[in-house]
Amino acid sequence: MLQIRNLTASYGPVTALAGVTLHVREGEIVALIGANGAGKTTLLNAIAGLVRREGEITFTGRSLMTVAPEELVSLGVALVPEGRQLFAPLSVADHLLLGAYCRHRRVPAREIAADRERIFQLFPRLQERLEQPAGTMSGGEQQMLAIARALMARPRLLLLDEPSLGLAPLVVEAIMTTLARLRKQGLTVLLVEQNARAALKIADRAYVLETGRIILSGAARDLLADRQVTRAYLGRDYKEFTDGR
Amino acid sequence: MHEPSPETVDAAELELLQLERLQSTLTRAYRQVKFYRRRFDAAGMRPEDIRSLADLRRLPFTTREDLSENYPYGLFAVPLRDIVRIVSSPGTTERPLVVGYTAQDLRLWLELLARLYRAAGVTREDIVQFIIPPGLANWRRDLQAGAEHLGASVIPAATLNYAKELMVMRDYKTSVLVATPPAARHLLTVMRALELSPAEFSLKRALLVAAPLPQAVREELREGLGVSLARAYGITEVMGPGLAFSCEAESGFHFNADHFYPEVVDPESGRPLPPGEEGELVITTLSTLAFPLVRFRSGDRTALDPTPCPCGRTLPRLTGIFGRVDAICSVGGIKVHPEHLRALLREALGGHLPPHSWQVAEEDGLEVLDIHLVLDETLFSDEVKALEGLCRLVRRHLQDHLGITARIKLREMTSEG
Repeated sequence: MLQIRNLTASYGPVTALAGVTLHVREGEIVALIGANGAGKTTLLNAIAGLVRREGEITFTGRSLMTVAPEELVSLGVALVPEGRQLFAPLSVADHLLLGAYCRHRRVPAREIAADRERIFQLFPRLQERLEQPAGTMSGGEQQMLAIARALMARPRLLLLDEPSLGLAPLVVEAIMTTLARLRKQGLTVLLVEQNARAALKIADRAYVLETGRIILSGAARDLLADRQVTRAYLGRDYKEFTDGR
Repeated sequence: MHEPSPETVDAAELELLQLERLQSTLTRAYRQVKFYRRRFDAAGMRPEDIRSLADLRRLPFTTREDLSENYPYGLFAVPLRDIVRIVSSPGTTERPLVVGYTAQDLRLWLELLARLYRAAGVTREDIVQFIIPPGLANWRRDLQAGAEHLGASVIPAATLNYAKELMVMRDYKTSVLVATPPAARHLLTVMRALELSPAEFSLKRALLVAAPLPQAVREELREGLGVSLARAYGITEVMGPGLAFSCEAESGFHFNADHFYPEVVDPESGRPLPPGEEGELVITTLSTLAFPLVRFRSGDRTALDPTPCPCGRTLPRLTGIFGRVDAICSVGGIKVHPEHLRALLREALGGHLPPHSWQVAEEDGLEVLDIHLVLDETLFSDEVKALEGLCRLVRRHLQDHLGITARIKLREMTSEG
């Protein structure tokens, strides 16, 4: 569904992505894990056209290299950015409406209303907070809203940047469970996460990014068991560093 | 989500998969193995310069000599604590060949072995008997583990004589034989000597490994044992038997190109050859973690056929293994390099190497190495006992170091030397 070849991106003289090649098949959850500064967010921003990039990106066979960020949503790709990027004074209802802006007047209003109902089934808390300004909600609720806003565009591919950032473990688990449910409904997800364990638990496959290059890839269950990944990203095996070997 | 079978993916998807795995393998090799970093630097390249599969050609080859020079751990790309298996084999140089595996490498390798068994029609219902000589201990262990992983009932190789092997085969109702072609031929010879007929056995298939299988031998075994034949190809340096396998179409070997990238090159110039042209098989690992190999020269002669197979698999095929491009010979599946053999002979003969010659010969279907030694002034003795002792010594030395059976023939010095 999504194919990326030799993608490079730089911030001035600093290379953030040094030739990344990867693919995401329809219906998969693919996790992209790596340390802070590895280039994960840059990769999502490069797909979305938010940073200057070179290489090839195709989505369902169509090149995204000349697609403007604002056109991407209508093609079926939605980005949930790092830090949620909500509008603090706007309510939950406003955000959901905003999420569906590209469908406004293109599809009957009842279809958008039906989607909103589906969102409420997925995130009942949002229905309870319908009129609450986003800025007053908890971090977990804000993350749910950010995902919900993206879903209102009816994307086929969801790009998620660090959805677990700053959230309590139980909330992270709830978010990940929701993503797994969405996948069962046919959504494809490219998930960027520093919380490698949470991401690998729900992903089908994963890539490990290190200083702008993919250094490992494979089935998520295999990477969960990989000792290098365990040491570097899963915060286990501290003893291995200190046992003098 | 249903993951498409890697054995039937379309060419474009396979190519992308190969490229992403190649790029991450080269990045790991560059960052973690000094040898490869130096190679890249000497070529004025960085891993990110490899932007297509064709770019791989810009990198130099890796040879068996490189492996020997980096003995034992110089080419490992993970810390030793991540290695769960260290496999040694005699190799074709004076130093043993060392290959490391991480736990993930072992999982991959089991998956590839299961692939070859499935293609051979073997299932968990089968009773699989192994007759593989001790000199191929690594292949023996690998293939047994693969059959166990599949869930079949495994009768591991034992030190039984061939008559007893046949008794086991008949009484245990073995349905699949895994053997080297020479071992299978020898089994057939013994079967005929004991006047046993295939009808007395439950054997349905034979998987023949580790040595070439000439067409005439293939027919002889198929008819003599009354079985369908399958084959596997691999080299010890790259996960043993998991590299390529035959299918029901019996049209070459499907190369596991989703985990290893094959090239066929002109053995003299190193120039890549187009599909269909015969040359040396060069292999780059795409998934192995512990022991990445970049453009490793296998020494085996083959040609590539990328066209889809009638069996439905899209993995490219090696059209066959047509011998070696170098002087290495196979004795019952064990690779022997002339230099290594000469060194072993010299060692056995106390540092002296007389004029000599050798050739692979056959003894009741089994392959042996006939070695002719010239009794020069240093070796000469007029005592038969001493000469017999000499032959025994050389025989044992080669058995110990290479696991091959040798027949030593002494020749008196003539005026020609």
